[in-house]
Amino acid sequence: MRPIAAVTGLLVLAVLWFGAGPVRAQSTFIFGAQGEPVDLDPAIITDGISSRITRQIYEGLTKYKGATTEVVPALAEKWTVSPDGTVWTFTLRKNVKFHDGTPLDAAAVVWNFERWRFTKHPQHENQLKAGKTFEYYEAQFGGFDDKSLITKVEAVNPTTVRVTLKAPQGPFLANLAMFVFDMVSPTAAEKYGTALSKNPVGTGPFRFVEWKVGQEVILEANKDYWDRANGPKLQRVVIRNIKDSSQRLAALKAGEIHGMEGVNPDDVKVVRADPNLQIILRPTNTTGYVAFNYRVKELQDRRVRQAIAHAINKKGIVDALYGGTGMVAKQFQPPPLWGYKKDLKDFEYSPPRARELLKEAGFPQGLKEITWEDGRKEPLTFWYMPVSRPYYPNPKEIAEALAADLAKAGIGVQLQTTDWAVYLDKRKNGQLPLYMLGWTGDNGDPDNFLCYFFCNPGASREGFYSNPSLAEILLQAQKLTDQAKRAELYRKAEQMIHDDVARIFIANNQPPLAFLKKVKGYVANPTSSEYFHTVSLQ
Amino acid sequence: MGQYAIKRFLTIIPVLLGVSLIVFSFIHLIPGDPAVAMLGERATPQRVAEVRAQLGLDRPLSTQYLIYIGKILRGDFGASILRGDPVLRDLVRRFPATVELAGAAILIAILVGVPMGIVSAVWRNSLFDGGSRLMALTGVSMPIFWLGLMLAWFFGVVLRWLPTGFRLGTDVTLVPVTNFYILDSLLTRNPDALRSSLRHLILPALALSTIPTAVIARMTRASLLEVLSQDYIRTAESKGLPQTIVILRHAMRNALLPVLTVTGLQVGRLLAGAILTETIFSWPGIGLWIYESIQARDYPIVQGATLFIATIFVMVNLVTDLLYAAVDPRITYD
Repeated sequence: MRPIAAVTGLLVLAVLWFGAGPVRAQSTFIFGAQGEPVDLDPAIITDGISSRITRQIYEGLTKYKGATTEVVPALAEKWTVSPDGTVWTFTLRKNVKFHDGTPLDAAAVVWNFERWRFTKHPQHENQLKAGKTFEYYEAQFGGFDDKSLITKVEAVNPTTVRVTLKAPQGPFLANLAMFVFDMVSPTAAEKYGTALSKNPVGTGPFRFVEWKVGQEVILEANKDYWDRANGPKLQRVVIRNIKDSSQRLAALKAGEIHGMEGVNPDDVKVVRADPNLQIILRPTNTTGYVAFNYRVKELQDRRVRQAIAHAINKKGIVDALYGGTGMVAKQFQPPPLWGYKKDLKDFEYSPPRARELLKEAGFPQGLKEITWEDGRKEPLTFWYMPVSRPYYPNPKEIAEALAADLAKAGIGVQLQTTDWAVYLDKRKNGQLPLYMLGWTGDNGDPDNFLCYFFCNPGASREGFYSNPSLAEILLQAQKLTDQAKRAELYRKAEQMIHDDVARIFIANNQPPLAFLKKVKGYVANPTSSEYFHTVSLQ
Repeated sequence: MGQYAIKRFLTIIPVLLGVSLIVFSFIHLIPGDPAVAMLGERATPQRVAEVRAQLGLDRPLSTQYLIYIGKILRGDFGASILRGDPVLRDLVRRFPATVELAGAAILIAILVGVPMGIVSAVWRNSLFDGGSRLMALTGVSMPIFWLGLMLAWFFGVVLRWLPTGFRLGTDVTLVPVTNFYILDSLLTRNPDALRSSLRHLILPALALSTIPTAVIARMTRASLLEVLSQDYIRTAESKGLPQTIVILRHAMRNALLPVLTVTGLQVGRLLAGAILTETIFSWPGIGLWIYESIQARDYPIVQGATLFIATIFVMVNLVTDLLYAAVDPRITYD
């Protein structure tokens, strides 16, 4: 039949025409992100997808070194702090220019601080009107205007900036290394207003080219980058929005992208088995825990909490449910943090020991029912989150494993979950008797893990747990600037939390990234703040 | 006919009002505080209050609905919670991608489905008929996301013939004019972009076309079989007309009416199917946008896009009905 011949002919032609495309320039690095950036103004974003991009364009006064949370100089070459820890003097690098050619000098740095700090600053107020907030400034520096911990920022001379604080803040330099506090070009910000979010101008190794909405963001090498020795090795960077994780992996296997984030736990093995691909694990910065409600009478008894700790087979859970990227957690801080207590001895997994402790606490028949302080009795409910988080990639399966472990020790729980917003709400109001949650660090400082949870004794959000001496140590550590002294206090705090079984830490996770083998020099940072200028393609 | 068109047009008003009511209530059906739901685990009370005020959640429901309708009528679909961008602007920007995809899919469906149905009907119960009916059944029942992944895997990863997703390669630059990439490539005389955008279109369009192809093939077959058993066909055949003329000129004319109707209905289903297809192939249209916004709990976008798609669906049905009347002069409307 003639039509069939015609169709076949057309198909052959099509294949010939469509066949292999042009050879892609070797110096374009294409990264598959899990979604579209929210905004490219570093000061108002809070998400990792946006910050991965802004980190290539912008830089701050300080930064995290390589794969660690150690703070090292970036735009500030060096700094000093007054003995009382309230006055920081930064010396800026000379001859650094924004991508628009304007200088990064003390005036520009002061301008940035003022934009964050003052709600009446024109480039702050316009963001508020557009429904955006400088959320992280508020979180890290106590608030805006009069509430701000930072009270004065002055340009001493073109390369010196002096920052005065109301009170000393231990994590100050770590805070400044966060992507939020990267410096934007004041000229560009004034020119674009809120549209700075789509026209970012910084000092970083890559400059912004284009944001194709829904598709990709394109960057190119900044030829005038100040750090000649460590300039970008790539000509172009394309960050593509690939929502579906299977498609992201397919695109990687097809060689259409060079690297990706958000590998499914089940796919880690697949990638490891592929000779063209490699897995890079991000050093962990996230801890999943089980928390108690201290208005439940049974859980007020430390022996009961110890029994629960001994009943849980953490290693079993990590081995079975984290796709080979998890680690057993024995304290709140993940191991890369400098306040981590290496020699802390974890509760041994021992169902008989758990039964023994329950018996001592007066529950020889095990524990199935709880009594609230107001006398209400109800079956012991164990709440698990309805959504996957880095610390609990598959909460339901993990909850089932936890429940099975507890049952072996005579603790019978009913599993329950609810909508995520309701879950967070109930947790905030102290309505969950026993629940799963976790934390991912923001700035690599131990304070960010510990103080958020334990500095307000009796808070409903933390199940009314009250340990004033723990809070005192944490608040003391927050005010010191000497890292060695702070580390000692955080180690002490971890021991106190452990001894009191304030909560049980289950696992740290190391989120996997996948790359083609020819990608070299990608260094994954615990805070997800990595710089693509170290990346090259071979 | 003119009067019918007006009457038929008026019926869409209550339909759209109903849709708007459902879309409006979305936000109130979420358990818990919608503002908390959107902002997540680190929401500050201040930000929650701001979002509540922005969404007008502090007013009575009826007032909220009236305000909502008033804004919609003025073309104000609200702004994204996440990005602050006006919903309508992004809708307009993203819609061409979806139309391009759905258009390609419906084109494939007609080009494959109608001939398949005709051949099946003419050689009824032959091997081809059996095979094509089996394929149609498979096409209707196969989950798009599975098919999409298989297509991407086979043609993208194994054979490396076609890209696994996206609208354009990173090695091509195209200056968007209309945001219909194929059209833009032609307008700007950019053969590289034309080639790249066509290559990118094939797999998603194929995945999206399976269900409509199957439905159209089945409908063509059934409807043609019915027509072929009628007297006037027998007359035509006994006159000694060649079979191709009998079928294409005499039978198909009548058999096409129901096919037209289902094709119209398929357009609506295509828009729904586009959510999955666009997500699997990272196709930056409205479907992917809805999916992302549901995940980010960006309700103004979900509301706006749903209302928009519902309106398109209603409009397409209206056009189909009017076409139906135009194609078949025997049909009269009271």
